[in-house]
Amino acid sequence: MIRKTRVLFATRFAEMAEYRAEVIIWMLSGTISLVMMLVWMAQAAAAPGGQIGGYDGSQFATYFLSVWLVGQLLVVWVGWELDFMIRQGTLSPKLLRPLDPMWPEYAAHVAERFVRIGPMLVLLVIFAALSGASFTRDLWAYPVTLGLCILGFTCRFLYEYTLGLLAFWTESSTSFSEVAWLLYAALGGLFAPLAFYPQWVQNIAVWTPFPYMLGLPAQVLAGKATLSQAGSGALILFGWVIFFWFVRLLVWRLGLKKYGAVGA
Amino acid sequence: MTTSQPDASVHVRDLKKQYAVHEKEPGFMGSLRSFVSRKTKYVEAVGGVSFDLAPGEVVGFLGPNGAGKTTTLKMLSGLLHPSGGVAKVAGFEPRRRETAFLKQITLVMGQKQQLIWDLPALDSFLVNQAIYEIPDEQYRATMREFTEVLSLDGILKKQVRKLSLGERMKCELAAALLHRPRVLFLDEPTIGLDVNMQEAVRAFIRDYNERYGATVILTSHYMADVTALARRILVIDSGQLVFDGDLARLAEQGRGGGKTVRLKLREAVSAAHLARYGHDVKVDGLSAELTVPRAEVSARAAKLLADLDVADLTVEDPPIEAVMAELFGAGERAEKEVVGG
Repeated sequence: MIRKTRVLFATRFAEMAEYRAEVIIWMLSGTISLVMMLVWMAQAAAAPGGQIGGYDGSQFATYFLSVWLVGQLLVVWVGWELDFMIRQGTLSPKLLRPLDPMWPEYAAHVAERFVRIGPMLVLLVIFAALSGASFTRDLWAYPVTLGLCILGFTCRFLYEYTLGLLAFWTESSTSFSEVAWLLYAALGGLFAPLAFYPQWVQNIAVWTPFPYMLGLPAQVLAGKATLSQAGSGALILFGWVIFFWFVRLLVWRLGLKKYGAVGA
Repeated sequence: MTTSQPDASVHVRDLKKQYAVHEKEPGFMGSLRSFVSRKTKYVEAVGGVSFDLAPGEVVGFLGPNGAGKTTTLKMLSGLLHPSGGVAKVAGFEPRRRETAFLKQITLVMGQKQQLIWDLPALDSFLVNQAIYEIPDEQYRATMREFTEVLSLDGILKKQVRKLSLGERMKCELAAALLHRPRVLFLDEPTIGLDVNMQEAVRAFIRDYNERYGATVILTSHYMADVTALARRILVIDSGQLVFDGDLARLAEQGRGGGKTVRLKLREAVSAAHLARYGHDVKVDGLSAELTVPRAEVSARAAKLLADLDVADLTVEDPPIEAVMAELFGAGERAEKEVVGG
C-alpha cells in the first residue's frame, strides 16, 4: 500500500511537473475572488465609516485573499477527466488494472498541489503586500486551515468524481460540474462572505458542505473564526466525505454495468 | 468466485451482449426531433456464443468488422457486463473484476495506450509493478527478458510521446504482460506495424505462450498473425460463432472443400479447356489456377500431367484470406434489431 502510494504520487508528480507552465497559467486564471476583493474594497472605501457589514478594506482584502488561497488548494478537474475517459473509452485500460481508477486521479490532484504551491505562495505575498491584507497571528489557525483544506478538497474531489461518473448515462456530464461549481462558489463565499447573503440563503447553505470547504478555512486564516467553529466545521465536512464516498461507490457500481467501452 | 490456483482456462456459454444505440436523422431538423423524442434501438453485438479454451491454448478469433470479436473480448476481460450467458476465465466471473482475476489476465487493444504519454515507458512499468505487486526480483527478471526479446534497449527512457508507433506498441505489450498474466486477450496487437515489427511481436507472443503456458485469444486482420500463432480458429459473424476448429479444417472449407492446383504450362491452354479438370479456373498467360475436389486431387493432377504440357504443378490449400472472404461473403450481414422504438 505504501509502495503503491509512493510510486503513484512520484509518477503523477513527474507528469504534473511536465505541465508546470500550464498549472501556473491555470492558477492565474482562477482569480475571481481577487476581482471580488477589488469590488468590495472599493465599496468599503466609499461606504460611510469605511466599512460594510463589519469589514473594512483591509479585512475584505484578507478575506478574499484567504478565499483565493483555499480555492487554489481545492481545485478539482476530475469530473472533466472522467467525462472524457468514459465517452472516449480510455477508461478501459484503467479498468483492467487491479486498482480503483480513482486513486491515480486523486494522486494526480495531490501531486499538482505540490507543483502549484511554490508560485502560489509567491503570488500570495505579492497580493497581500499590494492589498494590505494581514492574516491571523494565531499559530493554531494554520494547521487547522490545512486540515480543513484537506477535508474540503477530498469532499470536492468525491462529489466531482461522482458527477463525472454520470457520463455513463448521459452524453456529457460536464454541465453537472458547472452547476456544482456555481453552488460551491456562491455558497462557499467566493463572491461575498456568507454573512452578507439573505438569512434564508444562509439557512440553506449550512446544510451543504460548501461553507465549510471554502468560507470557513478562509475565515480561520482571516482570524474571524474560532477553533471550536473550525472543529465543528471539520466534523461536518468529515460527515460529507463519508456520505460522498458511499454515493460514489454506488454510482460507480451502477455505472460500470452501463459502460460501453467505446472504441477501446 | 475465487480459486487459489487458477487454471487459465476459458469457458463461455451462450454469451450475449446487446447495446442501446441512439439514432438521429442528419441535419438541424433531425437534431430538433431528436431533442424532443430520441429514438433508441437495441443492437445485438454478440448473440449467444459458446466455446471452451484449454489452458495454454492459442486461438485465432476471426470475423469481419462489427462481427462481435472485440465485444466478446471485452466481456471476457470484465470491461463489459454481458446481457446474458456465462463466462468463466481462469475460474473467475470477469464482470466482477476481482483483484485476483485482473492479475491473471491482460487485454491488449491495438494502439490503445496504458502508457503514461508524457513520461518514459519505464515510469509506466514501475507503476504497473506497484499496482500488480510484482516482487522486485520478478520485475527485474521479466524486464531483462522483455528487453531482450522485444529489443527495448534504448527506448525505455524516452518519453512515450516521442516513440515511434512500433516502439510504443512494443512498450504497450511489455506493460500489458509485465505481471505475467496467464490469459491473454490480444485485439489487433500488430495493427499499423511494419512487416518486421509484426514478426517481432508474433515471435514475442509465441515465446510468451511457450514460456508461461498462457492461454491466448488473438484477433487480427493480418492472417499471418493467425496462421503463425494459432492452430485453432473461432470465426464469428453477426454475433454468431460460425466456425470452431483447427486451421487445416477451416482451409478445407474453402473453395467448396477443394484444393487449389497451380500450373506452369509450356503451351497456352484456354480456360474453357481447363474447366474440364476443375472449377474456378483462372488463366494468366502460361500460368493457370483451378480448384479441384479434395478427394480427387491425385487423379485430376495425374490427368493434367498426362493431357497437357506441364512445366510445374503444385497443389495447395486455398489461402486462408480466400476462405475467410468466402465465409463472410456467404451470409448477408445485418444488425439484428430486436427492439425498436
